[in-house]
Amino acid sequence: MSEIKRRDFLKIIGLSGASTGLVGCAQEPAKKLIPYLVQPEEVIPGVANWYASGCRECPAGCGVYVKVREGRPIKVEGNPDHPVNAGRLCARGQASLQGLYNPDRITSPLRRNEAGEFEPIPWDEAESVLAGTLRTMRSEGRADRLYLITDGAAGTLDRFFDEWLGAAGSPNRVIHESFDAEPLREANRLTFGLAEIPRFDIEEADLVVSFGAGFLETWISPVQYAHGFSASQSFSDGRKGRFIHIAPRLSLTGSNADEWVAAGPTGAMLIALAMTRVLVAEGRAGARGAAIRPLVEPFTPERVAEAAQVEPARIERLAREFGDAPSSVALPPGFEGADRNATAAHVAVNLLNYAAGNIGRTVRFGPNVLRRRPASVPRLQEMVETMRGGGVQTLLVHGTDPVHTLPAGLGFAEALNRVDLVVSFASFIDETAAHADLILPDHTPLEGWGDHEPELGVRTLIQPTMNPIFETKATGDVLLSVAARLGGDVASLLNWPDYSSYLRDAWRAVQGEFAPGAGFEEFWRAALSRGGVWRQVGTQAVTLNRAVAGVNFDEPTLDGDAGTPYTLIAYPSPNLYDGRGANRPWLQELPDPVTKVVWNSWVEMHPVAADRLGVRTGDVVAVSSPHGQLEAPAFVYGGLRRDTVAIPIGQGHADYGRWARDRGVNPLALLPAAADEASGSIAWLSTQVSLAATGRRVNLVSTQGSHDDLGREIAEVVSLAAAVEAEAHARDGVESDPQALVDSAEDADPKSPYRWGMAIDLSSCIGCSACVAACYAENNIPVVGEQRCAQGREMAWLRVESYFEQLHEGDAHGNGHGAAQEDGEEVPAPHVVHLPTMCQHCGNAPCEPVCPVYATYHNPEGLNIQVYNRCVGTRYCSNNCPYKARRFEWFDYEVRFPLNLQLNPDVTVREKGVMEKCTFCVQRIMKARNDANAEGRDVDDGEVTPACAQTCPAEAIVFGNLRDPNSRVSRLARSGRAYHLLGELNTRPAVTYLREVSRGGEET
Amino acid sequence: MASVAPPARTPFARVSRDIIGALWESDLRFRLMMLLLLVVLGWAGFAWIYQIKYGMGTAGITHPVMWGVYITNFVFWVGIAHSGTLISAILYLLRSGWRTTINRTAEAMTIFAVMTAGLFPLIHLGRVWYFYFLAPYPNQRLLWPNFRSPLIWDFFAISTYFTISLLFWYSGLIPDLATIRDRLKGARGLGRLKERIYGYLSLGWHGSDSQWKNYRRAYLYMAAIATPLVLSVHSVVSWDFAMAVTPGWHSTIFAPYFVAGAIFSGIAMVITLSVPFRWALGLEDYITEYHYDNMGKLLLLTSLIVGYAYIAEYFMAWFSGDPVEWESFRWRALGDYSGPFVIMMTCNVVIPLLCFFRRIRRNIAAIFVISIFVNIGMWYERFVIIVTSLAHEYSPGAWGLYKPSWVELSITVGSFAWFLFWFMLFAKTLPAISITEVKESIAEGVWKPGDKKEEA
Repeated sequence: MSEIKRRDFLKIIGLSGASTGLVGCAQEPAKKLIPYLVQPEEVIPGVANWYASGCRECPAGCGVYVKVREGRPIKVEGNPDHPVNAGRLCARGQASLQGLYNPDRITSPLRRNEAGEFEPIPWDEAESVLAGTLRTMRSEGRADRLYLITDGAAGTLDRFFDEWLGAAGSPNRVIHESFDAEPLREANRLTFGLAEIPRFDIEEADLVVSFGAGFLETWISPVQYAHGFSASQSFSDGRKGRFIHIAPRLSLTGSNADEWVAAGPTGAMLIALAMTRVLVAEGRAGARGAAIRPLVEPFTPERVAEAAQVEPARIERLAREFGDAPSSVALPPGFEGADRNATAAHVAVNLLNYAAGNIGRTVRFGPNVLRRRPASVPRLQEMVETMRGGGVQTLLVHGTDPVHTLPAGLGFAEALNRVDLVVSFASFIDETAAHADLILPDHTPLEGWGDHEPELGVRTLIQPTMNPIFETKATGDVLLSVAARLGGDVASLLNWPDYSSYLRDAWRAVQGEFAPGAGFEEFWRAALSRGGVWRQVGTQAVTLNRAVAGVNFDEPTLDGDAGTPYTLIAYPSPNLYDGRGANRPWLQELPDPVTKVVWNSWVEMHPVAADRLGVRTGDVVAVSSPHGQLEAPAFVYGGLRRDTVAIPIGQGHADYGRWARDRGVNPLALLPAAADEASGSIAWLSTQVSLAATGRRVNLVSTQGSHDDLGREIAEVVSLAAAVEAEAHARDGVESDPQALVDSAEDADPKSPYRWGMAIDLSSCIGCSACVAACYAENNIPVVGEQRCAQGREMAWLRVESYFEQLHEGDAHGNGHGAAQEDGEEVPAPHVVHLPTMCQHCGNAPCEPVCPVYATYHNPEGLNIQVYNRCVGTRYCSNNCPYKARRFEWFDYEVRFPLNLQLNPDVTVREKGVMEKCTFCVQRIMKARNDANAEGRDVDDGEVTPACAQTCPAEAIVFGNLRDPNSRVSRLARSGRAYHLLGELNTRPAVTYLREVSRGGEET
Repeated sequence: MASVAPPARTPFARVSRDIIGALWESDLRFRLMMLLLLVVLGWAGFAWIYQIKYGMGTAGITHPVMWGVYITNFVFWVGIAHSGTLISAILYLLRSGWRTTINRTAEAMTIFAVMTAGLFPLIHLGRVWYFYFLAPYPNQRLLWPNFRSPLIWDFFAISTYFTISLLFWYSGLIPDLATIRDRLKGARGLGRLKERIYGYLSLGWHGSDSQWKNYRRAYLYMAAIATPLVLSVHSVVSWDFAMAVTPGWHSTIFAPYFVAGAIFSGIAMVITLSVPFRWALGLEDYITEYHYDNMGKLLLLTSLIVGYAYIAEYFMAWFSGDPVEWESFRWRALGDYSGPFVIMMTCNVVIPLLCFFRRIRRNIAAIFVISIFVNIGMWYERFVIIVTSLAHEYSPGAWGLYKPSWVELSITVGSFAWFLFWFMLFAKTLPAISITEVKESIAEGVWKPGDKKEEA
């Protein structure tokens, strides 16, 4: 053994010492990048592939583009060609990725063992269990004891289910959708003899009158409606439509109204009838009036005023305004207002639209919305009875969670225990799957084949965007395989090797409808690359139906006695829909657009009601109805009537994964199995509740410090006249202020052709928060959970603040809302302004000079850059940011497998201890600039779109180059409505806000 | 080591005996105290390591209150550091003889307080392992710190102050160190080692006329250099806040306001420390009511300045007509942090008014209690300024609250342990009262031990 020389010794000591030091510094061991051994033909590392597909997060059926990097979908964006959503997507659509990558997904088939626990089994065995049961049932002649419950989406899978069930010998297909438009369909059958759901052309309407439908959040096709709404209701060219919301509660949709008519909970029908009567009586309905006069004759404004809780004069004024508007549309009560006589209310709205001549203009039959008709409540009750009596031997459940989404009064969950074999095709252990004996997990929509027919003339093709992550199998494939195992006529009737070939065959028929003559392969490929096929569908003329004369306009009954003065409004959560979003951490952490509450349920109460009860926001109240009881924290909100309470639907899961379980309450526990009598659809507005303070208090976590802007002119609102005047002045160059706004274009290197900037039109913004979800998806923003949100540590780079204007000063702190009011005194209704806030990329940024290490600085293109590697975390920049746009990495946030597969490789995953903030999606700017440089040109206007602007259903956000005087953003920055947030601080922000324009107060 | 103490035949000899005699005796009290301090320090160290490992989120700071107890502590300790230089340098230049018995302690306090304060900018860093980014060191990326950032000004202000204070303190020590060295002459064993150490530290001082002449001159210059630092350091610290746009911080009164506050808290800390200290080391004859009377007057003066600043701040917030500023100050007094505000007002403005009474100033127990209130009040002053301003800024939608976590509180308590640990070490190893200057005072007839003189 050789001796170690002194020099060697020193070398070893030096090297090992240094390396020990270095290892000590490293936060994570380095991971090797392994190149493809054989590179797949279509994959270029670093370059995204985009696949067209369809969103299945709600029945609306938007078309999407899925961005796939190295085989992993990392972002979902709207398909700009798609007629439903025109390239836009809501927060739920953005979060579909977290369905795909959810760590709570079922990873393989499961069977309940003797101990009552699920154990994984191979697919072969799982299918043979089902096939064996079916074979036995068939041989015993009990094939009709097989039931299949599915969701109500129209498309090939729907037809496949019918075909399969038919071959299996059972007629028992049950369709269940939590929120359906059956009252509307039935009303149309009665009014026009057409049992269809028409298209509402909100974009054409100068005056939109909603009787409660949450059409900007959950009703039928919210992205489509939001897009249309911003077209007609945002300010442009000196014009802006007017939106009147006639409902007991100011929902997210209502918060965008110019006027709120706080009608009684069941007043919509009466008001619509009385308005129609005014139109008819005053001859504004023209020739149409004669036909409906007898129907509406008894409903004078004076007569309905008492029950509808609206003064007669106001009803008359509303009617005249509706009749006088050049074009108008009335929207029905929707889900929140669906009472026991919902169909009649929808008929009343139909009559109003008819009287105003809107049918065929803004309410168009022809391009109808397609939904399978869900089972009515009586039909469901019948099925539950059959289940109780043992008449259901095998129950298959696909795409729906009836245990969670049916009113507890129906008793579905108990009846489920009497079924011999419950088979669930769910991707998650939802409440229904938790009752199942066998779970055969389906692919998520991003992994499998499918199609969707959201409306007539639109067929969306859904294609796999990645190999399945887990051992899941398309339900179509499972059923075909089961059919093959059953053999005989079932196998021969369903003779397809797999569901994708069934789908292709089905599309041969589609080709006949859309592109007859061409080769199928070309058609198929074109449809795949485009995301489907669509065609214009003409308007179908309709006439008034005689049956309408028989409609019973009785006031609906509400459960509960006179001692329970509050009517319960159970409304679908804009984030969670019927609860299917509750296992997506993005959607849980996405603040509710109005209350800004995260990760919880709440009971909305009027300040007067809260005073009566002696509770504040955060105090737990007990809500009891004749059908059940629950406890949840109060949220005191001036945006609902004092005789109502509202609870969002969506939380209160008993199961459904770690993020959904045991969180909040499910208001369905308070509801009876009540139905709208004519359509059989669930009556959500059917019960009265009593309230009691429990004396307990919880921290109801909200991301908003105060909803009162204290008159600081943060979220500015102007009247239409003022907006018109300001725009005119700006055009004439009279106003000097807008020039100052454009001057922020100077805040970049003089040699740079760019100064990136953004314009946010508050008159377009509806507050839906899709931008926030898109930002989470694009920028690898960690989800921190309720506790950390409670501390103020949510990481959203973009937040949408909601300000309730007209609140009183003096109660501006914490979560207080509205000053204490004497009972009976008028409490002014809040005017809700939504304000998307992010880093303003100030030209004179307060954050920049205070950073001791230049971790934040101004780049030559005017961006305020944050260098994560340089940041030492003094957090001075955040203290000095007047917009509080900066976020700090308080911890190393864990992104649990497989959620980590969603991370955007173009955006750094930040380590603990560094500051971060909105970058204007600098990775997208870089890509566009590189592309432009490669072609030897400058970046064109519209070439860079940050994730928030891309998804905004209202097109409220415009991004571009302020140096280019012709760019959209420059022109908007010169608008007379333009202002800078806290502009008096001379921060010279790159974000220009355009004042919200309200046509409220025009009625007086 | 009582053997070192000479018989007290002359006043001079008595001074040497009393002061040097207090050294080195580590009795049980002392050891238990040190053990306790080390345990607290160990716990705080654990808390810091825990915070480094898991992230700043283990502290209570949050959005929008990104600075909390750590920066409160930083400003508090920098403030404590002020009285040392004030008493040593300014009073020296003003020839205030009464400073001689307390200046050494005050200077030591300054050094240790700066050492404590200096830890907090590190503790509060999100990525403390890159702390050296803050220093202007040559690197291949040619990156310098941002000289526009008040935090960099801080870095220079504090390091300068520390260096000068240390040198000033050390130069004052040289003759005393030589005295101890001489006392140890001929000792054996450990004593011999001590003699060597004190010998090195006294830099060959042998008390010649030329040495005294140069020494006197140098000490005077040092005092002159140190004097402006008293004003500059806390002005710069105040600019950490005043340079920001944050309402409640952005104010031109901050520099004088902070300097007055710093001297106020520094004097209070000198009182708080010297009372138990004179008792423990048996120096009652040296630090007397006369000294507390004088310090009480300083306390009162600075309290009045601070009180004036509080009122001026409110006046300006109202007079400016800036609704954001006014709301910030209104909320400061009436909002969620009204408790700390009341503590601050009571302890800093109301209680020190008792110092108007001579009887109270000369009552050591009373002035000791007052000084503790002032220390508490001044800590809360910084807390109120930092936290309430950040919690309630321009955008009401982004308002939030802050609550310190166990990590922050542990480290805060640990900082006191750290400070006291050094201070106790000092008390046992270095002469806590300047032997030289006390002897000079006696020689000049200004003052002698046990002299409870009315006027200086």
